[in-house]
Amino acid sequence: MKEFLKGNYKLDVEIKETEDAEASRLETEFERKALSRLGGSICFVSKKNFVWTGEAQPEAGRAAASQGGETRGAGTPDRQDP
Amino acid sequence: MELGRRIARTLEAATFDRIAAVGLANAELNRPRIRRSVLELAPQPLGEGDAAIVVAAGPSLHRRRSLDRLRASRFKGTVVAADGALGACLRAGVVPHVVANRALVELVNKHGPGIKAAVATSAAPAVSERCEQAGMALYWWNPMYDDYERPDSVSRRLHGMNGLPCINGGGNVGTAAWVLTHAVLGKRRVGIVGMDFSYAPGTPYAKTQYYPELVEMLGARHEEAFIHLDSPLTGERWFTDPAYFWYREVFLEMVGGADCDTYNCTEGGILFGPGIRTMRLEEFLGDVEKGR
Repeated sequence: MKEFLKGNYKLDVEIKETEDAEASRLETEFERKALSRLGGSICFVSKKNFVWTGEAQPEAGRAAASQGGETRGAGTPDRQDP
Repeated sequence: MELGRRIARTLEAATFDRIAAVGLANAELNRPRIRRSVLELAPQPLGEGDAAIVVAAGPSLHRRRSLDRLRASRFKGTVVAADGALGACLRAGVVPHVVANRALVELVNKHGPGIKAAVATSAAPAVSERCEQAGMALYWWNPMYDDYERPDSVSRRLHGMNGLPCINGGGNVGTAAWVLTHAVLGKRRVGIVGMDFSYAPGTPYAKTQYYPELVEMLGARHEEAFIHLDSPLTGERWFTDPAYFWYREVFLEMVGGADCDTYNCTEGGILFGPGIRTMRLEEFLGDVEKGR
């Protein structure tokens, strides 16, 4: 908050941030910084199938994705929260 | 909510932001090597019966000598290893049927031809090249990057490019190996060893994987990012950081929708909760042996 309180005058009282406001600001800052440094090596997509093979069988000539057939994950409804 | 848990909740999006671009670029570079889909593993005879063991590379793998015990049991089911555990497996005399990989170890020269590699298209091209040189058969899959139902989905675009299935990887290779084991190989009883998602009691914070980043980000508050949990099986108190805690939360969400029974035989760590049975490795192996 202090960085926004600037003027060409002096206050008679000292402005102090509440601890809660400062903690909240710091945590937001920490989270933003954390985003760029932490995280997994493979993505996770919440509430989706384990396996997705597309809406239709792959066309001939593509990689042999269809040769193993459908899996239990393919074509089933998306998972819900346990 | 604790700071560490709050950070963990942001990591699904953070992971996408950090790795999607590189993953897509690698998928393009790997394209000439793609000849088989990971779905082709399903009908192959990879171990007997419907039971499997997934081997991850957490500290319990050594602390509990899980691989020595697995080898001694003469387990006949399927063994699937995360890449980080492959070296330990081979040194212990356990040759996995499948390795889910992004990296490799030199021991693969000797055993490569007998191991099938389930390779993510996001793997560095040098890794897939090395796999081929070692004589491994490569079976490819796309990591699921985002919601494939969205018209602008990266996953959808990638699938359109190479025709491969998109696998929901759960944030890390260990969880991806568990997904492959039940959702692709169709195993119905899946035991897990070495999947701690945490650090053993007594480990100094400074020796943890993300310590430099946490200190840089949080300064004097870095210790607040660590989360401590008591193991229901051993009573030990393990601790974790936001990244590994996120893996745990993801796993707990996924296990609720899995068409298999999951048995955590890690004997340590923080992977416990609804949908996961924790037990000693010998108990799981004994049940499999007796057909229970």
